[in-house]
Amino acid sequence: MGYPPSVLIPGGPGGHERPARLLLVDDDANLLVVLAEQLRADGYDVATARDGIEALRRLENAWPDLVLVDMMMPRLDGISLAREIKARADLPIIVLTAIDAADSKAELLDEVAEDYVTKPYHYPELRARINRVLRRLGDRLPGQRIVLGPGLALELGRRAATVNGADVSLTPTESRLLYALAANLGTTVSTETLVARGWADTDGADPSYVWVTMRRLRQKIEPDANRPRHLITVRGVGYRLETDAT
Amino acid sequence: MIPFRIRIMAAVLIAALAPLAAVGVLLVFTRQADSDASIFRILLAAFVIAALLGLGIAIIVAGSLTAPLRALAVAMDRIVAGDTSTPLPALADDELGRLAERQGQLAGDLLRRNRQVARVVDAVGTYSPREGADRLVDLAIADARLAFGLIDARIVLGDPSDIPAEERVPGDPLPIRADLRAGAEPLGAIVGHASATARWDRADQDLLELFAAVVGVGLRNAELFARVADQNVRLQELDAAKDDFLRGVSHNLQTPLARIRANADQLAGEQAEGGEPDRRLAIIAEQSDRLSRMVRQLLTVSRLDSGVLRPVAEVFALGPRVRRAWEALGATGVPFTLDDRSGGWLAYADPDQIDQVIWALLDNAVKYGGGTPITVTVELVRREGDTTVSGAENRAAGGGTLRVRVADAGPGIADADRERLFERYARGALPGAEGTGLGLYVSRELARANGGDLVLAPTERGAGGQRAGSAAESGGPSAAFTLTLSAESPTEG
Repeated sequence: MGYPPSVLIPGGPGGHERPARLLLVDDDANLLVVLAEQLRADGYDVATARDGIEALRRLENAWPDLVLVDMMMPRLDGISLAREIKARADLPIIVLTAIDAADSKAELLDEVAEDYVTKPYHYPELRARINRVLRRLGDRLPGQRIVLGPGLALELGRRAATVNGADVSLTPTESRLLYALAANLGTTVSTETLVARGWADTDGADPSYVWVTMRRLRQKIEPDANRPRHLITVRGVGYRLETDAT
Repeated sequence: MIPFRIRIMAAVLIAALAPLAAVGVLLVFTRQADSDASIFRILLAAFVIAALLGLGIAIIVAGSLTAPLRALAVAMDRIVAGDTSTPLPALADDELGRLAERQGQLAGDLLRRNRQVARVVDAVGTYSPREGADRLVDLAIADARLAFGLIDARIVLGDPSDIPAEERVPGDPLPIRADLRAGAEPLGAIVGHASATARWDRADQDLLELFAAVVGVGLRNAELFARVADQNVRLQELDAAKDDFLRGVSHNLQTPLARIRANADQLAGEQAEGGEPDRRLAIIAEQSDRLSRMVRQLLTVSRLDSGVLRPVAEVFALGPRVRRAWEALGATGVPFTLDDRSGGWLAYADPDQIDQVIWALLDNAVKYGGGTPITVTVELVRREGDTTVSGAENRAAGGGTLRVRVADAGPGIADADRERLFERYARGALPGAEGTGLGLYVSRELARANGGDLVLAPTERGAGGQRAGSAAESGGPSAAFTLTLSAESPTEG
């Protein structure tokens, strides 16, 4: 069966790739059906649940690769469900929500969800974000807290870095880039990969997005931004994250 | 000025010598010729002896008179210098003694008053309205006891005329009292007792009343502070409730819109497989987007009110965002030109919030431009000036500023409206008014929250315009808004 490569992830039978399994949770039956059809048409393996309780029941039988959750649902709201899921397994979660980043609840979302998509979503954007999160599945971070040197540690789980003892918060994009780099500690990650990780849903994103964000990031987390010790540029290729030891 | 001591000595000497001198003078005038030289010798000897004796007596008398005065002066000097440990010298029970006693009393009163004032001033400094009225009452009672040396003290709140006055009984502790007031408003009284032997004069009472006034104001402040704190809590609760309400409303509006949008998308997708999709589906999608943007705009206004916009700055190219916003607007039939002269420079701001601004500006241009051509210019400007420069020139300077100029060639904006254009609900006076009237207000606030700004460019008509551009060539823009945002050079590093 011919799947688009973006929906395939490692872990299929016989070491082959298989389509990603998604669990879609929304109390809006019509939206659930339409979205599930759209996702299936793109090759994903989609299961659906009408509310949080049903979603948790489904999780007992099979674990999906990613869960899409509507934030406002009767019985068990999206954030509580996301917490429940995280308590059982470290599944990536994307929250569908009518709120945006400026909302006071947005911080709660940051805690429990890998990403969130504002309703009404545009399907191509949603798909891009799903793929971005799926691509990260293969990445394994060396630990919850990655100590890069005496003055710098990353805690990407909560989108923060500790720089000389001070807490520095990271934007979603910054932490996505650092995630990709930290999963490949000491190895150069190509600029193209970083574009895909950071801006999968942005039209016209190009390497300059990575360059500028890295420059900004250096000013945030490097002890001396002019002489970076951790975020190393490999000219014409990409970037590398290094600990003081390497 | 001749010292007191010398004057006393001079007086004693003169008193001793004056009679002898008078006798000598008389002798000289009455018995000049047959004068006996021995008389003069005796007289001279008597004069010398009287002078020596007089001098001795003068020294002793002056000493005995001035010594206590000098001791008193030295003691007073010490008190003035702040040394209160040495008591005043005890003097005999005469005029000098009484003088010294009064001086001693005055010095004692002064010290006591100093201590009282210092205690009162200290106390006033420690009264923070945050700690609440109860704590303030406790502090004030302790301070009153210490400062005024009271045996007991308490603060009774209520109308002071309802608090019974205590009769003074000789031999019993002395009742004292001062009313608490904040301005003219009576709050209560400080009542207590001083020891039966304590001195309590007019100045003590005045100072106690002053202290009571300070406590009164402190109590009033604590009360007001508590009320404000209480109101703050209630406002926060209301704010949270409003937030919840708006979130709910937003959800209830956005969910059906999401459903409409998703169905339209799906239908369009199915139709695309068979050929050209129905334009009407695109309209459904565009209009549902439009509605959901208006809902978001209302949410943003509510956030502006509570001061939480929380922009999350990311880098992005403005040109593609403008293009995408234009396409989402679905204003087919209106000529549109995008002139991207950013040289690859990227804006640094919250992309979602800037999307709202760009969309509102384009929507306005379509609404009020009357179908005239819309021109959007994205250009790099220097941070310090307004000169358009090439990317290469600005690159050396580090950061820069990007400007998005949205211009139409419609009827323009009346001078009277230019001022109030950015106010809330400002659409009323504008021609063809529709929509919420919040677009420009929200847009400017969003631009500013992102470190940029949004202004209405001065009217430029015909060839007189400052800037060359396609809009100017087509007769000059009649309404042009410029959005400025900080920018980053697209260089690797």
